[in-house]
Formats: sequence, C-alpha cells, structure tokens
Amino acid sequence: MAIKIDYVARETASNLFRNITLTLASVLTVVVSLTLFGSALLLRQGVENANDRFKGGIEFIVYLQPTITEDQKASIQRDLEENPEVKKATFVNQDETYDEFKRLFANSPQLVETVTPEILPPSFRVAPVTKDPAVVQALGETFGAKPGVYEVVFAFEVVQRIQETFNKIGVRFLLAAVLLLVAALMLILNTIRVAMFARRREIEVMKLVGATNWFIRVPFIIEGIIQTLIGAAIAVGFMTFLVRPFIDELSEDRVLPIFQGFVVTDGNLITTNMLVVAVAVLIGAIGSAVAVSRFLDV
Amino acid sequence: MIKLENVSKIYKGDVVALSDASLEVNRGEFVFLVGASGSGKSTFLRLVNREEHPEKGKIYVAGKDIGALPSWKVPHLRRNIGSVFQDFKLLTNKTVYENVAFALEVIGRPRHVVKTQVPAILDLVGLGKKMGNFPNELSGGEQQRVSIARAFVNRPLILLADEPTGNLDPATSVGIMRLLDRINRTGTTVLMATHDRSIVDTMRRRVIELDRGSIIRDQSRGVYE
Repeated sequence: MAIKIDYVARETASNLFRNITLTLASVLTVVVSLTLFGSALLLRQGVENANDRFKGGIEFIVYLQPTITEDQKASIQRDLEENPEVKKATFVNQDETYDEFKRLFANSPQLVETVTPEILPPSFRVAPVTKDPAVVQALGETFGAKPGVYEVVFAFEVVQRIQETFNKIGVRFLLAAVLLLVAALMLILNTIRVAMFARRREIEVMKLVGATNWFIRVPFIIEGIIQTLIGAAIAVGFMTFLVRPFIDELSEDRVLPIFQGFVVTDGNLITTNMLVVAVAVLIGAIGSAVAVSRFLDV
Repeated sequence: MIKLENVSKIYKGDVVALSDASLEVNRGEFVFLVGASGSGKSTFLRLVNREEHPEKGKIYVAGKDIGALPSWKVPHLRRNIGSVFQDFKLLTNKTVYENVAFALEVIGRPRHVVKTQVPAILDLVGLGKKMGNFPNELSGGEQQRVSIARAFVNRPLILLADEPTGNLDPATSVGIMRLLDRINRTGTTVLMATHDRSIVDTMRRRVIELDRGSIIRDQSRGVYE
C-alpha cells in the first residue's frame, strides 16, 4: 500500500511543532554530540596528515639554514652517507620544501603567499638503520651542532607529541560525544513517545479502521530522522566554519611548531561531514524505531 | 460470517471473560448481545476484531481462522469490520468530514474516492449539512452518527457496536437503531452489545445472552429477558 507523501509531511510537520521544547532539546543534544564526534575525527585526520612527513622509515629531519653554503651542505651529506647508522638520507631542496609547504597549507592561501622558497629550510630526511629512540636521538644530535644546521626534528618526538595532544583532546571529545549520542538517542526515543502519546486517540482510530502498522509508524520514524538531520546540519556548519578554521590556525601557529602540517584537507572535511550525517540518520532511525516498536502494537 | 468454536478468554487473575463459547452468525444477521456488565459482551466483540486473543478455541471471520492470521494481516481483517462505541471515539480536532475521511485516508484510499464516498455516507446518516462542524458542536446522537458513518464508509462486511446507545436518550437511541437497521439491510452483519431493554424488545432480532462468560440463551426474534 502506498503511503502518501503529503500525509506523512503534514503529520510530521505538525508533530515537530507540537512538541517544540522536546524537539529543541533533542536537536541541540544532537548538535553538540555530533560536533564533538566530528571534531574528534577531524583532529585524528589532522594527526595522520601531520605524521605523513615521517612515512617510509624517516626518523628525523635535519633542517638546514636557508643561507647554508654548498661546502657546509656537502660536508653534512658526506657525514650522513658515511655514517653506518644511516640507512638512507634524502635531500629535499627549497623548491621541494615549498611544494610540500603549499600542499600542507593549501587551506591557507594567505600564508602560502607570504612564503617564498628562499626563506624555507632545505633538509635531509634521514632513515636510520635502527628505530631505537635512544640511538636515533644520539645520532640526530651529532648533526644538530654542525655548521649550517638549523634544527633537527625527531619523528618520535613530533609523532609522540602530536599523538599525546590528540589523546588529550580527541579521546575526551570522542568519549563525551559517545555519551551525548546515547543521550540524544534516548531523547529522540522519548520525543517520539510523547508525540505518540499526544496522538494516541488518532492511533487508536487508525488501528480500528485497519491502517497498517507501517502506515502508523512511518511518520514518527521520519520525525525522529528529521530531528537528527536538523541537528546534523547545524553540526556540519560548526565543523566547517568553526572547527576547521581553528585547526588551520593551530597549524599556522609558529610558536607551536609541532602542529606544523597539522591540517585537514577539504576531502577530510567532506568525508567527516558525510559520516556525521550518516550517524545522525542512524541515531534518529534507531531512536524512533525503538519507540514505535515498543509503544505501538497491533 | 462469524464462527466461534469452544472459545475461552481468561484475563489475568483468573477473570473468565468467555468460557467455551460456540456459536455461528450468518451473513446479514442482526444479533444483540445482552447480559450484565462483565458478562463478556465486549470481550466477544474484541475477539472478533482480534484486539484480544482467545486462550482456547478458534474464531472464524468470513471463513478464515483469524487466530492463524499473521499480525501484519490484521489491518486487512479490520478493514472488513466496522466498529462503533459508546464513547464515539471521534477526533475532536477534526471536522465531521475529516473524521470520516481519516478512516479512508489511513487505509490508502485515493483522494477521489474519499471526495465522493465521505459526503455520500454523511448524507446517508443525515449529517450532510454538518460536514464542516467539529464533534463538540454536535449532539450526542449526531456524534454517534458520525462514528457510524466512519465505521461504515469502507462498506465493511461486519459492524461491531459496543453499547452504541449507552450515552443517548431513548428518542435519540431509536434514531441510531433505525440507522443500524438500514445498514443491516444492505447486507452488513451487525453485532451489537447492549443493555437497552426497550430496543431489544422492539427490534425482535436474534438475542444471545451471556452470563459470566457463558452463552445461556440464543434465541431468534428474541427479547431482552
């Protein structure tokens, strides 16, 4: 039997406004929980992007002064190649660094504009034979004092610090998000239950005259999904216009260089937003489906 | 049309609502169910509608064992059964027209069917001029006519009436009975539970008397006592 769209739309709209305070409570809970959930995911993707520099066994990077002389550079390169602890050392020149910089900061065109290849440090990306942090650190530090070297950055340090930061923020966000999602689910369930209670006489008549269970249930389930979808829309707005710019700001912060490369791409944002919408639909559908199956029987 | 085979219904706490009841109602019959409060009249009607399940026995409606009906088919059973109650069960926020139309809309009848059937049935029950009124603007008798219109608009095979005149004065009740009689004459089987002695005695139809869940009398062209 076909369920008429205008019937469902009319019923759903009137239900949403009849319980406006409860509806708002559910929607706001969904907004907060999904924003936290999405932020945690974005942070995690930021961490992964930031750690990208250290793929392929690279354990530390020797950043050189932009003004380094060819002799100094050649001397460092020779030392690296002759050192038995070094498996592989790759030179990244200023142009390549600039390309990488552009890729990492694609979201901040103003920043990219202010930077030219000449002011960026060229570097050696070093993959040592061992992964033992103590050995790697000792090895890296022998290069730190050489003339023309700007800074030696260790992967374990960066990765560890970024991950620590993520663990501090992200895991707590996720935990809070999960708790709030459960709260949202229960609020949706109760909103739908109240909506059904408000319409119990109509439901009674519908059953008497032989409306199918699904005909009675569908408007309520759609009502639940619409509530979470409204919440998801607001959460997506927050993520796009508040959370993402905040992460970009972090990555541009020169004082906290560990966040360098801590960026989220447009692709990351879109995927996360889609996931947020999917979770919203799921929460709305589960909450209202449980409500109608528990409180609506033939 | 309706057949009960050794049907027993026991509510929680050993309240026997119906015990080992067997009977058959033919197509087009008009049957009064009489008996004291709690004798099982309402349970009888609720069993036919499958709002209740019997503990024992089988119930056939239009030849089908409704106990074997899967629950998703129950709505289709109910489309063949109209129900009328003492308290009308009208939706107060809907007009007379909307109340009757609702019954057709929620079973998915197309709009043009609703637009033609609803005014026709409201004319039949004598409320053609009050389609735009709300239930609380009508008298009790008029409200019961609306509820009968709603029960009958889908042309069910069976009409179940649970004390339809219980809230109405005698003169109004006579009008309601004329209406039910007219519906019965179209071939609809009518089962009516009642306490109204004068109605039963005037109509002289089949009377089934229940006492504590047992059928103690089944009389064609019967009287109340």
